[in-house]
Order: sequence, then C-alpha cells, then structure tokens
Amino acid sequence: MSILDVQHIEKHFGATRVLEDISFSLEQGQVLSIIGSSGSGKTTLLRCLNFLERPDAGTIAVRGQTIFDAADMKAQTESQIRANRLHFGLVFQSFNLFPQYTALENVILARQLLAKSQKTGESNEAIVQEGKALLDQMGLSDRMDNYPHQLSGGQQQRVAIARALAMKPDILCFDEPTSALDPELTGEVLKVIRGLARKHTTMIIVTHEMAFARDVADHVIFMDGGVIVEQGAPADVIDNPREERTRQFLSRFSQDN
Amino acid sequence: MFQTVTLALLRGCGTMLELFALTLLFSLPLGLLVAFGSMSRWAPFHFLVRWPRLLDQKFFRWLSTFAPVSWLCNVVVWIIRGTPLMLQLIIIFYGPGLWFDHNIWSFSSGRMTACVVAFVINYACYFSVIYRGGIQSVPAGQWEAGEVLGMTKRQIFFKVTLLQMIKRIVPPMSNEIITLVKDTSLARIIAISELVKMGEDFMRSDGITWPLFYTAVFYLVVVGILTLLFNFLERKLSYFR
Repeated sequence: MSILDVQHIEKHFGATRVLEDISFSLEQGQVLSIIGSSGSGKTTLLRCLNFLERPDAGTIAVRGQTIFDAADMKAQTESQIRANRLHFGLVFQSFNLFPQYTALENVILARQLLAKSQKTGESNEAIVQEGKALLDQMGLSDRMDNYPHQLSGGQQQRVAIARALAMKPDILCFDEPTSALDPELTGEVLKVIRGLARKHTTMIIVTHEMAFARDVADHVIFMDGGVIVEQGAPADVIDNPREERTRQFLSRFSQDN
Repeated sequence: MFQTVTLALLRGCGTMLELFALTLLFSLPLGLLVAFGSMSRWAPFHFLVRWPRLLDQKFFRWLSTFAPVSWLCNVVVWIIRGTPLMLQLIIIFYGPGLWFDHNIWSFSSGRMTACVVAFVINYACYFSVIYRGGIQSVPAGQWEAGEVLGMTKRQIFFKVTLLQMIKRIVPPMSNEIITLVKDTSLARIIAISELVKMGEDFMRSDGITWPLFYTAVFYLVVVGILTLLFNFLERKLSYFR
C-alpha cells in the first residue's frame, strides 16, 4: 500500500485555476521530486498537502486512509485538520523559525505543547533529549542555544528541518529549501537531505536543483501550468523527457546553469 | 513661597498622573478592540458572489466585499485623529448640557470623568493603529509554521506571535504614551487644575515666572521615568530579532 495517494486534486484562486487533476502516489521510504518553473503550482500542491490551502476537489489518503475529501468538507473540523497535518512536515523556503526561541526551543516547542494539551504522557526530558539528538544529527550540536538571527541561512534551514522531524511526520515536504540561500550554503542543506534519503525518510521535495533532484529522487514529477505534464523515474523525466514542454523547461535550465 | 508653589504643583501633578493612568487603563484595551474591528473582514453581503451576473455591476461588486465593522472603525479613527483633542474635549464636556438641557457631568468628579472619556476615545484610536501595525508586521510564515507543526490558533498567538508583536509595538507606543503625559495639560480647557494651570496661576497672581520652569521639571521627571522604563523593556526584548 502506498504511504500517500493523491487523487484528482484541483485548486482555484478566484477564477484562476492553479492545480488541475493532480494525481500521484508515493511509496514508503521513497523520495519524490517536483520540478517546474515558477507559477507552475508546485508550491500550491505542497501547501494543499499540509492544509495551508484547501483543495477545491480531490482526495488525499495516507496509508490507505482518506484524510481529506473535498466532497465531504463538513467532516473537516479544526482539530481534525490539525491531527491530519501531523502526517506531513513542511520545511519552508524562508525557514520561518520562531525568532524569540533558541534553536533547541524551536525544535521542541510544538512537541511540548502537544504533550501538554493532549496529555501524551511524554516527559519533557525525553522531548529535550530527542530535540538535542535531532540537532546533533543536523550537525548543530554546538548551536543549540543560539537564536535564529545568530545563525547562518544554512544553519537556520537545518534547524527548520530538525523542527519538522521532531513531530515525526510520515512524509516530510520541502518547499524549495535552498532557494533563499547563498550558493555556498546550499551544499550543507542538500547534504542533510541526502542523509535523510539514505535513511529512507519519505520525502517530497520541490526544488530547482536539477542535479540534486536526479540524484536523490526515486520519482520525479514535472509540473507546468497547474498540471502534471510528466512523471516517472529521474532517468526518464530528467534525462529522456517524452514531452516537449519538459524538454523546453530542462533546456532552459541547462542554459541558465 | 517655594513651599506654597511646591505643594500646589504637587497637587497639579497628582491630577496629571490620575488623568494619565486612567487614560492608559481604559484606552490600551479599547485600542486593541478597535484594532481588531478595523481588521474585521466580516462582509454580510458576501453571499452576493453566488450570482456572478450580479457582480458585473460595480455597486454589487462593491457591496459583496463591503465590511461594515472595519469601515465604521476606520471612519471613527479618521474623525478622532483628524480633529484636535482640545475640540473633542470641549464638545464632550459642554455638548450634552447644551443639546439635552441637562449636564450629565454635573456630579462631583464630572469634569475629570468627561476629560478621561475624551482622552480614552482619542488615545484608543491612536493605539489601535499602532496595534494593527504590530499585528500585521508579523510575517504570515510564522502562523503557517505553527499551523504546520500542529499547534492550535491559541498556542500560535500566545507562544509565537504575541511577543513579536509586543517587540514591534514598544517604540511607537512609547512615543504615544510620552505625548499623553504632555497632552494632559489640555484638561485646563474645562477648568481642571492640572500642572500647567497651577504654574500659570502663580504667574498671574504673583507676577513670577519661575513656577513655570518648576512645572517643566515635573514633566521632565515623569517623562524621564517613562523613558527609562521603555528603554528597559526594549533591552529586555532585544535578545531576538
């Protein structure tokens, strides 16, 4: 059974159709890369999966269980959406760390609040230990007590990745995780994501780093104008694209770089 | 003489501090209410969008997005910020007596009450704009990050965005509050014996000017203390950006 099954997602902003009939599935432990030019709907798709946007049509199922069905909106209470969100983690392009908390506090805050409000019985000590382990894994063991403004962009993004992992999501989503970084800082973030892929973390990565996508992804989706133009193994989509639009996009890309 | 002046000015200072404290006490929360009101997006005629053909007409398109609460708050803020506090004070104190043949401020501390009412309305409007700026200056990404981590709206407000708002509000607030200290001198227009009036009375009756300078010292001390307080607060919040 697929860990994620997305069927016929549609999204409009007013009269503009942003996503049209988006369907794909993802297996446990696999990495999916979504590529395409700006405005192709990649980011909106990620935001739909994380319920930051509500799709106008379609269904989303995690491990065979439907967690969203646009046809049955009444079932979506605020607290259900919150619970469903925890299936997904999201790493933003602009990090969005909480500035008044240290790196460690950023990582553990949501877990602490969840443990308190839902009485999960998780001890604060265990949460702190886990947070430290995650930051250690990100190579930030000496940065735990720093505030975000004291960290470089690459370090901030690694804290953001640890923060997303702390909620133990089934699927970790990245929205152009290196687009806001200086070129010399993208490497350290991509290295961390590669490490996660090696440990078979299920991930969806929206990226402009074509070489990275080919390298790390098991499956690639090329989007244009709100639709999936082509999907398949990276060797097919990136190296031997069938569709003219994909070829055009990729050739523009190789010129730019 | 010095002792007489000091005692009189201390009484004036007491009046000033009373007006100052009462104004803050009521206008700070009222301003937050007005701020939320002016950001309200409640549009009772939004249902009109169900008939697309109707929206072709400009009037109906405007009506479908019309937010009355926000509109009303913005008009009130415009009127209050657009007219002098002194004028508002005169209208609020003398108006009722002239319109209704009955002075609602005729009770013992009526003058002070009328004065507080005028000041609270005026300052709530100024504060509301500062609050709104603070609320809107917190990037949407902070809310989204909290939501994605499964936090409730309440948790996001209190644990994430509130402190960031406060940090941004402190400098403009300190400006406005220091202005309030000096605006209390307007109360004399309805014959409240505040500081400046006290000082001026000595000039008129005894022909001496030094009590006026002495009056200034009182203002400087109060504003000085407030400045230290706000500096302390800003330093407290300077650990993050």
